[in-house]
Amino acid sequence: MIRTEGLTRRFGEVIAVEDLSFEVRAGEIVALLGPNGAGKTTTVRMLSCLIAPTSGRAWVDGRELNEDPSHIRATVGVLTESPGLYKRLSAWHNLRFFAELYGVRNAEEKIEEYLRFFGLWERRNEPVATYSKGMRQKLALARALLHEPRVLLLDEPTAGLDPESARSVREFISELKGAGRAILLCTHNLPEAERLCDRIVLLRTRLIAQGTPEELKRRLFGTKVVVELANPSPGLVSSLDIPGARSAELVGEKLYVEVEDPRRDNPVLVRRLVELGAEIIAVREAETTLEDVYHELMGGAGAQG
Amino acid sequence: MSSWEVPVHRVKAILLKEWAEAVRIKMVLFSVAFLPLFMTGFAAYLVWQGRALPEEAQAALLNTSLLYFFILPVVIPLSIAAYSIVGEKEQGTLEPLLATPVRDWELFFGKALGPVIPGLVLSWGAFGLFLLAARVMLGKIPTGVLSLPWLLSIFALAPFLALFAVFVTMIVSSRTTDVRAAYQFSSLAVLPVLIPLLVYIGRLTAVNLAFVGIEAGIVIPLDVATLYIAVKLFRREEILTRWR
Repeated sequence: MIRTEGLTRRFGEVIAVEDLSFEVRAGEIVALLGPNGAGKTTTVRMLSCLIAPTSGRAWVDGRELNEDPSHIRATVGVLTESPGLYKRLSAWHNLRFFAELYGVRNAEEKIEEYLRFFGLWERRNEPVATYSKGMRQKLALARALLHEPRVLLLDEPTAGLDPESARSVREFISELKGAGRAILLCTHNLPEAERLCDRIVLLRTRLIAQGTPEELKRRLFGTKVVVELANPSPGLVSSLDIPGARSAELVGEKLYVEVEDPRRDNPVLVRRLVELGAEIIAVREAETTLEDVYHELMGGAGAQG
Repeated sequence: MSSWEVPVHRVKAILLKEWAEAVRIKMVLFSVAFLPLFMTGFAAYLVWQGRALPEEAQAALLNTSLLYFFILPVVIPLSIAAYSIVGEKEQGTLEPLLATPVRDWELFFGKALGPVIPGLVLSWGAFGLFLLAARVMLGKIPTGVLSLPWLLSIFALAPFLALFAVFVTMIVSSRTTDVRAAYQFSSLAVLPVLIPLLVYIGRLTAVNLAFVGIEAGIVIPLDVATLYIAVKLFRREEILTRWR
């Protein structure tokens, strides 16, 4: 549904996005992660035919970007960084206007359906200026979905929402994926990306890495096993010479061992530790989060904005 | 549905949205309503003052009053046009708007016609009101007032001047990032109207068919050139990067 090949955009001397290649298939949610200024918004703008790439190619819903921009814009639903609503107009009026521009059939039914879903129906005739930030975000999301787009480009969809609303929006996005849509999600909320997305694209002007959250974790951190010890001794690490162990580190009472294959290597590890006189309290797989992956790849400090 | 219906549909949607927003802004509403009322009232006052004058003098006085109705269609759209662009900037609505399938020219015409149509309707309405007032005060409309040159000026030439003013406003707005600069430069759009005004006040010539022809000969090509430049500059990327 979305495919880019060497997508590049320059603004004068400044390179916003360089040589970016990735894919979002139908029924898939892909997170575009990166610090502020990494080129996420520029990528979304190129994919929604708002700005043209300087070089490289991209296809959205089977059509190349410059081939038929109007068709691509009709296929894509965009949730922009800020809600961008007409504040003097009511929620109903806002949706009605965009329904006209998208040529939505049964617009009134669709508008009612989305306003009810997002809990805005009762206040549909009030000016958007009187809405809370969360309500505006929901309305912007309703606007992005109104024309039933096959491709969704969502920039921070849960930003500004209370936990309850954020949860309902996440569940809703998951349902959209089930309907066979391709969803590209720009977010700074790493737990959200991990929970919601099938694959992750890490970007800092250039592509840093891409893969499923599990692949990225394994690629960076391998499979780590934590062994809790009752009698940790500093000499334990140097004596731990088993074939499948890539690295080992003792932190307090916990021994972290990176193994190649947990099914094969964990029993060997436990046997060796017992031989070395270690008193084992527990053995479990170490938890690595997407946040660990992100900070490892982005260099930690200042990576998130 | 024919291929022409959809674009017209979108231009209409933009037009209606522009008006729906404009009527909710007191400042715009006030300037749009106040100007025609003030000009009509002032013109009617001149007529009232000259009611005892000979018919020839009355006609001259009314001729001067008619200039107001020549200026109105140019001045009224400016406050709406300025807001229609500034409003998009203020509310950050450009990106979602440009992300829709609306074509550049549809957006351009929706934005341009939004201010021009109410400007013309209100000006012509004010002109009608003025004629009615003159008729009531003088018992008749003096000969020579509803002359072909004046009617052509108000009903045929003024729309072109109004379009010029709006096109200039849109060009300025698409090139500047500063709202105040946009307002100031937009006032240059009134210049073509000032030329006949100055010529007439300076009594260099009377408003006759030759004068209307010369003015049309200047304004219509100017409109075409301005439209060409405006459409050329009114591109998504240009708007998005310049209008923010």
